Amino acid sequence: MLDYLDLDAELTDEERLVRDTAREFVQNELADSIGTHWIDGTFPTELIPEMGELGFYAPNLSGYGLPGVSETAYGLLMAELEACDSGLRSMASVQGALVMYPIHAFGSAAQKDEWLERLGTGEAVGCFGLTEPEHGSNPSGMATRARPDGDGYVLSGTKTWITNAPIADMAIVWARVGDDGPVRGFLVETDRDGVSTPKLTEKLSLRASITGEIGLRDVFVPEENVLPNVEGMKGPLSCLTQARYGIAWGAVGAARDCFETARQYALDREQFGGPIARFQLQQEKLAEMATQISLAQLLAHRLAELKERDALRSQHVSMAKRNNVAMAREQSRVAREMLGGNGITADYSPMRHLTNMETVYTYEGTHDIHSLILGQDLTGIAAFE
Amino acid sequence: MKILVTVKEVAEAEDDFDIDGLDIDERYLEFDLNEWDEYAIEEAVQIKEDGDDVEVVSVTIGPERAEETIRMGLAKGVDRAIRVWDDAFADVGMLDPKTKADVLSAVVEDEQPDLVLTGVQAGDDSFGATGVTLAETIDFEWGAVVNALDLDAGAGVASVHRELEGGIEELTDIELPAVLTIQTGINEPRYASLRGIRQAQSKPLDLHELDDLGLEESDLESPLSRTAMYEPESEGDATVFEGSAEETATELASLLRDVGVVEG
Repeated sequence: MLDYLDLDAELTDEERLVRDTAREFVQNELADSIGTHWIDGTFPTELIPEMGELGFYAPNLSGYGLPGVSETAYGLLMAELEACDSGLRSMASVQGALVMYPIHAFGSAAQKDEWLERLGTGEAVGCFGLTEPEHGSNPSGMATRARPDGDGYVLSGTKTWITNAPIADMAIVWARVGDDGPVRGFLVETDRDGVSTPKLTEKLSLRASITGEIGLRDVFVPEENVLPNVEGMKGPLSCLTQARYGIAWGAVGAARDCFETARQYALDREQFGGPIARFQLQQEKLAEMATQISLAQLLAHRLAELKERDALRSQHVSMAKRNNVAMAREQSRVAREMLGGNGITADYSPMRHLTNMETVYTYEGTHDIHSLILGQDLTGIAAFE
Repeated sequence: MKILVTVKEVAEAEDDFDIDGLDIDERYLEFDLNEWDEYAIEEAVQIKEDGDDVEVVSVTIGPERAEETIRMGLAKGVDRAIRVWDDAFADVGMLDPKTKADVLSAVVEDEQPDLVLTGVQAGDDSFGATGVTLAETIDFEWGAVVNALDLDAGAGVASVHRELEGGIEELTDIELPAVLTIQTGINEPRYASLRGIRQAQSKPLDLHELDDLGLEESDLESPLSRTAMYEPESEGDATVFEGSAEETATELASLLRDVGVVEG
C-alpha cells in the first residue's frame, strides 16, 4: 500500500490496529461484491449492524459505549472504508458525524440515552436533513418550517439528497422556527405521521449508497425532540465540519486504491513485448499520482493533529476537503485511463471511484463553495453575501 | 479455568522478493498473526464467553515488533499476554520445535493452564510440531489437527474431532490438562472491534526474559540450522500442441505414452 512518506511510522499501535481491522473487514466482506452493489444500486445493508459491532460509527466520540479513538484512527478508518467505496464511507460519515455527533454535542441527556447506543451499534439508522430541492449551497435560505404547536412543533417541508433516508429509523431535521426564528435541530422518528422517505434512483454516481428525500407534511414532534443546546446555522455547519474531516481522509483512500490498481495493472499488462509500466508515459502518471496522494495524506494527518488539540478551524477542513476530493477525482481518472478498455468495467475499481467522486466533489459543500469559504477567510470579503 | 494460547507472528513474503543470505530480505516481508493461531485465539475466547471464570492468556516468542500482533489478540478477547524474548533469541536465529517447546514449557510451569491451544502449524516455517512436542515435554494429553471442540470443563474432558486424510474425522475424548492443535475452519474468527482495540491497550503484556523463566542461553541451542535458502528453478516446460483436434490428440497420446502415464 502506498505510504511513500512513511506516515505509518508516526502511528500508534492502536491506530495501526484500527486501520488493519478496517482493511481486513473491507477485504473479506466487500472486495468481491462491491462492484455488483454499485451496478445494482444497492447498499450491503446486512453489514450495517456488523459495522456497528466493530465500532465504525462515531468511534472518535466517547461514552455511550463509543470507543473514543484518536482523530487519526478515525481518519484512517474513513480512508479504508472509502478505499472500498465512497458509499461505505458515506454510511459511516452520516451515521457518525451527521447524526450521532449532533446528539452527542447538542442533545439532551434523554436524547443521548435514547439514541446514541442504538445508533452506535447499528441497531438504528439515522439520516441528516439539511439540503432542500431549492436550497443547496445556501442552506440558511431553507423553506422547511417548524411552527410552535402546543407542547411541540409541526414540521413541514422537503429535504433531498439524504443519504440513508429510505432505511432510516430517525432523521435529524434542520428547520426554521416560524418565518423569522432561528434554525433548530429536530429528532424526527421516520414512523411519525406525515413523514415520507422516498428513494432517489437513476443516480450515475455513488450507486452503492441509498439516497432519498424526507417529506414532512405537518409532522408533529414534541418539544423533547428538539436539540436543546444549539440554535442557528452553526448547528448543521458544525456537523458538516465533522463529516468533511472524514471526507478529506476518505478521498485519500479512494485515490490510493486507484493508484494501487493502476500500478499493478501497469506491471501485469504486457504490450510490445513487456509490461507497460516500463514506458515513461506510464511512469510519469504513477509518479504524479503518488505525489498528489502523498500531499493529500500530509494534509489529512495535519488536520488530525489540529483537531486533536482543538485548533482545527472549519476553513482548514474546507481546504482539505476541497483539495483532497479534487485530487481523488483527478487521479481516479488517470488510473482509469491507464487501464485502457479494462478501465471502464466494474471489474476494476478506478471508474467506480471516478464516478463516486463526482458526488463527493459537490456534496458536503461543493468544491466551488469551499473555494469561496477560503476566499473569504483570506480576504475578509464574503463573495456569497 | 485457564487457557494458554500460543501465538506466533509469522513472516509473509511478497510475490516478488530477493533472498538475503539465509533468509528472505526483510524489505519483502510483512509480519502478521499466524493464520492458525487466529482460530486458536477465537476458540479460547469462545470458551471464555460460554463459561464462567475462564482466563485466556497468550504466549508469544518474539521480538518487540510482535507486540502489535499480540495486541490484536488482546483486542479480540485474550485477557493478558506474555512475550518471551531475550537478545539470545536473536543470536540463535532458527528455533526448532523442541527448543520452542522447552521455552514454552517454562511458561506452562508458571501459568499452570488447564488447556493449551496452539495452531496446527505456523504459516512461515510450517514445522507443525511445536504443539505436540510441547505436550510431550510437559506431559499433557494432546490432540492434533482439531477441527471441532466440545469442552466439558466440569468433567475435565475435551471431546474433539480430528481431521484425518481422505475426509475422515476421528472423534476422541481427551482428558485435561491437554494441548490441542487447532485447525483452520474450526470457527469463524472475529474482527477486533474498535472498543476491543482500545481496551487492549490497557491489558497486561508482560515480557519474560530467559532468566525470568529459569532458562539459560544454552537451552536455546538447536540441533537444526538452516544451511541454504534459494528459489527452486522453475522447470516450466509446457508443451503447446497446435493443429486440429485429431493431430493434437495424437501428439498428446504419444507424449503420455513416452512419459509412462499410459502403457501400450
